[in-house]
Amino acid sequence: MGDLLYNFTEWLRSTFLVELALWISDTPLSFWIVTNFWTIPIIQVVHILSIAASFAAVLMMTLRVYGLAGHATLDETSRRYTKVLWWALALLVLSGIGLIVGEPVRELINPIFWIKMVLVIVGVIVALSFARSMRGQISHDSFVRGGEVVGGGTKATAAFLVILWCLIMAGGRWIAYAPV
Amino acid sequence: MMYPEPTNIWESIEYSSLGITIAESGWIFPTLETIHVIALVTVIGTIALVDLRLVGMASKAHRVSLLAKDTLPWTWGAFALAALTGGLLFISKASSYVINPYFLWKMGLLVLAGLNMVYLHLTTWRTVEHWEQDPSFPFAAKLAGWLSLIFWVGVVFFGRAIGFTLGFYY
Repeated sequence: MGDLLYNFTEWLRSTFLVELALWISDTPLSFWIVTNFWTIPIIQVVHILSIAASFAAVLMMTLRVYGLAGHATLDETSRRYTKVLWWALALLVLSGIGLIVGEPVRELINPIFWIKMVLVIVGVIVALSFARSMRGQISHDSFVRGGEVVGGGTKATAAFLVILWCLIMAGGRWIAYAPV
Repeated sequence: MMYPEPTNIWESIEYSSLGITIAESGWIFPTLETIHVIALVTVIGTIALVDLRLVGMASKAHRVSLLAKDTLPWTWGAFALAALTGGLLFISKASSYVINPYFLWKMGLLVLAGLNMVYLHLTTWRTVEHWEQDPSFPFAAKLAGWLSLIFWVGVVFFGRAIGFTLGFYY
């Protein structure tokens, strides 16, 4: 695994990403972030709080689908948490861009960063389509849980999403430990 | 590798076989950090859902007592996991953590967040069924929501600051 990641890094070093990273690090914004010690930790805090919001949204929708939590209908649950999801995603992308601008080489020439990006794209698409699939499902009594029939596919997607989100968070943490 | 004789309790913890195992391993510390992040994100995300409802910013159509009932078991479970992994991370560098002011601030804010929650539950929350259908919540409930949000954002900030300043103090 270590060798594989190392070779991935070697390959990244042979691409245009090196020049892109160096170009970003020469921009005034990048310089400003680097010279202000607390900027990176503060952007990371925003990033962590947004992942907290988005993960809570994914978790609550998943628990609702399994009948483990939630008193509203699937439709109401989806509407409530899709809103959280969109806000969180917007902040995640913004703070993520800030982190790349601040430390372009650490992120762009990093195999775990790119693995995480692929997982993020899959995760966002699956999360939003999952939330959409819950729409329009209204039980007879809106405050009795488990009134609807939830298909096995929906349940499997929900479990997959929670695991995917955990892998994305693991990727975020392991960017700092990539073999470079 | 040889370690010096411990001169205080923190060094004794750090130079324990568990502390040394975590510190010397290449993967245990990052793995514990990863689980710590997933757990704390769950704690803060689920707490924030209730807090945002308390202050009147989100999910106004949902009853706050039901929302709390849904989220609380997961908050507590995740908190236990965060405390366990946090404790193990602490053991591996105990003497560096106890002299780090950001670590001490983080612990202080955790206590404040806990006291804020206990106070709310012993007072205003006891009559939640009477006021949760009102258009606006009692001042004490809103205040507890805002304080909780502030304390937890502080916990994340100081937690992150520890990682950037661990070598600064000795």
